[in-house]
Amino acid sequence: MRGMRMVLRKKRIGPIVEVFPRKQRLCLLAFQRGCQTRPVHTAEAEIQPLLNADNGTQTDPQDHLIYQLPPKGELRPESPGLRDFLHRVEDMVVKELASNAKSHAFDGFDVNWEDQNETVSCIHCLQHPSAQEKGLQVTSISWSCTGSVIACAFGRVDDGDWSTEKSCVCTWNLDRRGLNPKRPDMVIDVARPVMSLSFHPSQPSLIAGGLYSGEVVVWDTNRTQDLILAQTGMSTDTHREPVYQVAWVPGPRRGEMVVLSAGSGGRVLLWTVDSDEGRLVLSAGFALIRQQVPHNSALSKNRGSSNVGVTSLALSPWDLDTFLVGSESGLVLKCSFSAQTLAAAPPDGESVTLRAPAQFSFSPRGGPVHSLHCSPFHRNLFVSVGTDGLAHLHSLLQPDPLLSLRVSDSYVFGVRWSPTRPLLFAAATGQGLVQIFDLGRKSLRPAATLDQLTGGQPVYCLEFNPRRKDLLAVGNADGSVNIWHLSTELTEQGPRETAKLEQLANEVAE
Amino acid sequence: VTVLIHHCILYKKAEVEETLKRIQGQKGVQGIIIVNAEGIPIKTTLDNSSTVQYAGLIHQLVMKARSTVRDIDPQNDLTFLRVRSKKNEIMIAPDKDYFLIVIQNPSD
Repeated sequence: MRGMRMVLRKKRIGPIVEVFPRKQRLCLLAFQRGCQTRPVHTAEAEIQPLLNADNGTQTDPQDHLIYQLPPKGELRPESPGLRDFLHRVEDMVVKELASNAKSHAFDGFDVNWEDQNETVSCIHCLQHPSAQEKGLQVTSISWSCTGSVIACAFGRVDDGDWSTEKSCVCTWNLDRRGLNPKRPDMVIDVARPVMSLSFHPSQPSLIAGGLYSGEVVVWDTNRTQDLILAQTGMSTDTHREPVYQVAWVPGPRRGEMVVLSAGSGGRVLLWTVDSDEGRLVLSAGFALIRQQVPHNSALSKNRGSSNVGVTSLALSPWDLDTFLVGSESGLVLKCSFSAQTLAAAPPDGESVTLRAPAQFSFSPRGGPVHSLHCSPFHRNLFVSVGTDGLAHLHSLLQPDPLLSLRVSDSYVFGVRWSPTRPLLFAAATGQGLVQIFDLGRKSLRPAATLDQLTGGQPVYCLEFNPRRKDLLAVGNADGSVNIWHLSTELTEQGPRETAKLEQLANEVAE
Repeated sequence: VTVLIHHCILYKKAEVEETLKRIQGQKGVQGIIIVNAEGIPIKTTLDNSSTVQYAGLIHQLVMKARSTVRDIDPQNDLTFLRVRSKKNEIMIAPDKDYFLIVIQNPSD
């Protein structure tokens, strides 16, 4: 209240007409309206207190105060006796800390609280015979947020043609007694091959799927009749090419999740679920155009379309704004949800303006990047795999990989970090093996190899169970899903793993 | 009189900070929390949520440990508590009005 001047002005009530310069003389029409509330109810009542009392208070004059409050910087008064307490215990505590740091008393001392599992075994081999008869392959698998239900999507990965084959999505509840591996608990028939699948992160009955036709569908497994909760349909907003990745990301409102879909048409789209209408409404979109990709090294000059087809996508658990995209041509890009640059794509009747999300380009590969995954233990690390048979460990801060491990002589289709061991990741190969690598070991050979017994047919996808840390689900080209029980060595975190990971992340590539 | 008392408070505060710094400087110390008799943290070097978690849980543990010692021998009393885990060690120095909690990773 520092010297505000009150200026009284006469207030004009009534229609106001502004005078515009010659060229734009306009007459503004004014209307008068009034409103009135309904008559207000009133009532009268009387009260009277029975007892009366008189009281008064008075502060002490300033100079009678014995204790003055400490100045503004110290909000809490000093705890009495704290200094003396610390005096008493300091020496003892410092002595214990020092001797503990030098002590060898607990060297090599390990405690087994849980049953140690020495072996890795395949506990279930889930199949859907009618899908297998049609020769359908498992394209994507997803665990529900509770960790008890595994859903798998059937489709074809090796078919080059526009496929109109009917396929399905099957779910099994592994915690149910009387689990029949040859009979799924639920089979959702889909008119087109399903290329990607993702369970909702908090509602265990919702599954989002991306189809070969470019449509995105959300199923609600709680329903008895028509299981489709919402779908994009074939509108001008949908993808025109197969959708290779779907994911759930936090929406603008708190607690709301929106569906993200990415396809080989170079579009990354965000859809809000409108369950009343049964539609997925496009809320935001990104288009990846080759000319708008930031260059850092020589990019291959292919004369194809200017769209950068997306084959894999990874969300960062550390930074909700960042996501990584792997493309058909081998590009790995760091993108941002809040990018504002408009995409240089010709408008195609979409209801939202598409933006260009790419901010940084990592060193490109020779072929499609099939899978990307961000480390749950380090904010800057991610691993990528593709057709070159190598697993590349990258830091978000530099274009070249920190480390490249040979996984297989053929293509590698999937890679996932372990949710419990910072240094462990598993990769699915085209030879039907899952290779598990431990970065803490000195050797570059895998710590474990899981043979899917598919007769040499590829393994397309793999997912760790989010709740039960010892389960790994693997989806194969022969239409089966294998559930593996991992040994304690592959699931128990070692003492210095996070520190070793930090060390790896800080190394600069040569 | 008020000016003199104000200086005494500041002096005491500086001493407390010095002591905490000395303890923090020991090898492998990850955090220090001072909790009062009600279990409310009054000083900490860790973040808010971890502090609240540690304070509540450790206060209960110390009370349990103290009653265990005194039940076995009523003339005895708890002087120090150490909880060793896979990843670190928690040392607790209890007292009538305060507890001092120090979290150390000896292999750091």
